[in-house]
Amino acid sequence: MTDHPTPDALEQFILGQLSTAETREIAFHLLNGCPHCQQATSTLWEPADSFEDPTILDVICQEEDEASADGYDAVLDRVFDKVAATEAAFAAQRFQAGALLAELIQVPAERQHLLVTNSQRFRSRALCDLLVEESHETGFQDPRRAVELAKLALLLVDRLTAADCGGEDVRESLRARVWAQLGNAHRIHSNLNEAEEALAVAQELLAAGGVGLFDRARVLALLASLRRAQEQFAEALRLFDRVAGIYKKLGQWNLMGRTLLQKSLVCGEAGDIEAEMSLLRRALDLIDPQNDPRLFLAARHNLIHALNESGRSREAFALLFHSRPLYLKMGDRMNLLKLRWVEGLVAAGLHRHDQAEAAFREVREAYAGLGLDYDAALASLDLAGIYVAQGRTADLLRVTEETVAVFQSRSTHREALAAVLALCGAARQEEAGAGLVRQVSEFLKRARNNPNLQFSANP
Amino acid sequence: MSALDQPQVEASLEILLRDVQPRLKVLFARYRIPPQDTEDIVQQALLALIYQRQAIRDPVAWMMGTIRNKCLLYWREQRRKLYDAVDAAVLEFMAEPTAPDQEEADLRRDLTHAIEQLPERCRSLLSLRYSQGYEAPELAERMGYSPSSINKITTRCLAALTRHLVASGILCE
Repeated sequence: MTDHPTPDALEQFILGQLSTAETREIAFHLLNGCPHCQQATSTLWEPADSFEDPTILDVICQEEDEASADGYDAVLDRVFDKVAATEAAFAAQRFQAGALLAELIQVPAERQHLLVTNSQRFRSRALCDLLVEESHETGFQDPRRAVELAKLALLLVDRLTAADCGGEDVRESLRARVWAQLGNAHRIHSNLNEAEEALAVAQELLAAGGVGLFDRARVLALLASLRRAQEQFAEALRLFDRVAGIYKKLGQWNLMGRTLLQKSLVCGEAGDIEAEMSLLRRALDLIDPQNDPRLFLAARHNLIHALNESGRSREAFALLFHSRPLYLKMGDRMNLLKLRWVEGLVAAGLHRHDQAEAAFREVREAYAGLGLDYDAALASLDLAGIYVAQGRTADLLRVTEETVAVFQSRSTHREALAAVLALCGAARQEEAGAGLVRQVSEFLKRARNNPNLQFSANP
Repeated sequence: MSALDQPQVEASLEILLRDVQPRLKVLFARYRIPPQDTEDIVQQALLALIYQRQAIRDPVAWMMGTIRNKCLLYWREQRRKLYDAVDAAVLEFMAEPTAPDQEEADLRRDLTHAIEQLPERCRSLLSLRYSQGYEAPELAERMGYSPSSINKITTRCLAALTRHLVASGILCE
């Protein structure tokens, strides 16, 4: 073969920059075994390989980069102008979407469906975004409503075209987020099968490749939360690692801190308390207490809890002392109750039984007053632990009977009631020990989001 | 949000863009992205930034990370064209009806030898592809991969084979 491709053509071939026909022609030439061109291409792979490794790129000469970078100005200026105009339009669209959402949530469900399905006015990507956000925000207060909002978002996203969304990739990213949020709302509503189905659709969209990196992380984080609820801990940990990797790539340290906090919960539930504490410490290094004080406090709170659980109550006490101003700064009722509760737990860990009892009583009554019976029951079990430690069998029987009565008055949480009844029965026989109280308490915490869990007391 | 908020939003975006422009230029130069191909990359990243602004804490870091990732995807896509071309060329060689018996035997031997140099899973996959003519869905089913992952695995195997074939050819004269 005498007609060799030029060195430029060979370089473009390796970089994949030639047309299909040109690429094919050179491929044939090389496959036919041209030693000259094989030799010439052998050194051409390296620059393109280095694109996969950012650390190699960092050592490439900066001056060379800057000298060759001027050709980009015209393109960047053009794109920036276009994007600035789009941003103004999007801000207006989002403002209108807020009004549409307010209008939508005031009408009955059937009417909402009609409006989203038939009215052109409601065919807005920004409204779909807001529905996803609203569903997410509503999740823990009203899971049923969160599911309805996510279903509405789904109805809407299926009617949006790529042009409505500003591109096919944007639409696919939004669809993935809507399905993932629907799955998440189902998870919080304890419908794990429906959650699995919805998140499977989101995963298919991720696999199709059109979903952006940031949305990919958000979808994977929700999938990891589902795996945690399903007690598939190894898979949940693997997914959280992928999410953390994406946030690291995008320089979103706060979100990476949040992910490590979520991952620590999985470790805690899997019984690996050392890994839980290590992750919480790393999360605390990454979360900015000024920008996200609530998240920072949640990580601190969990670390105090984990230290105390692992028998390091003195360290827990010291950290609690330094964290108290954060709880007080938040000032909301729920955080103050969390503070009082963890004070009781740490006092119990330090065998300061009177202080612990006072704290648990306060917490129990406050939760009962707020109608949060499940939390009140958990506080009652902590109180029961104190009575066991002090050998106060009559008080133990009384507190367990009160807890049984609360669960019996509600038709939900049948297995939780079975667990509390088992404890109550043992208390009547004066056979309830610290181990059983702990088992029932742990079971109630796990069963909260998984009502299908079955209780069986271990000897 | 009031109407008065809007110019402020635009101003903050403009400041952000001007701030990030020199770094973007260096990034593109380092990744050797042709200027005409940067337009789509930047536009997609910036639109995503606008749409998700409220969830993003550090927009500059986010943008640099997103664009770096898009540059990588750009090169992977370019490389995929190369692998597809080599794949098509090999399939064409294999299907050559006029090749004399000895030549065809040599061709198969060389290709088999090249495939034998590759990792185990690529050996199975490419053998099925070139000797049995299996397409991606059949490969996925036969090898127990999910339909969504077979394309990624095939691309990796084609990449390995391309390196080998481009370096040594399959029809040495």
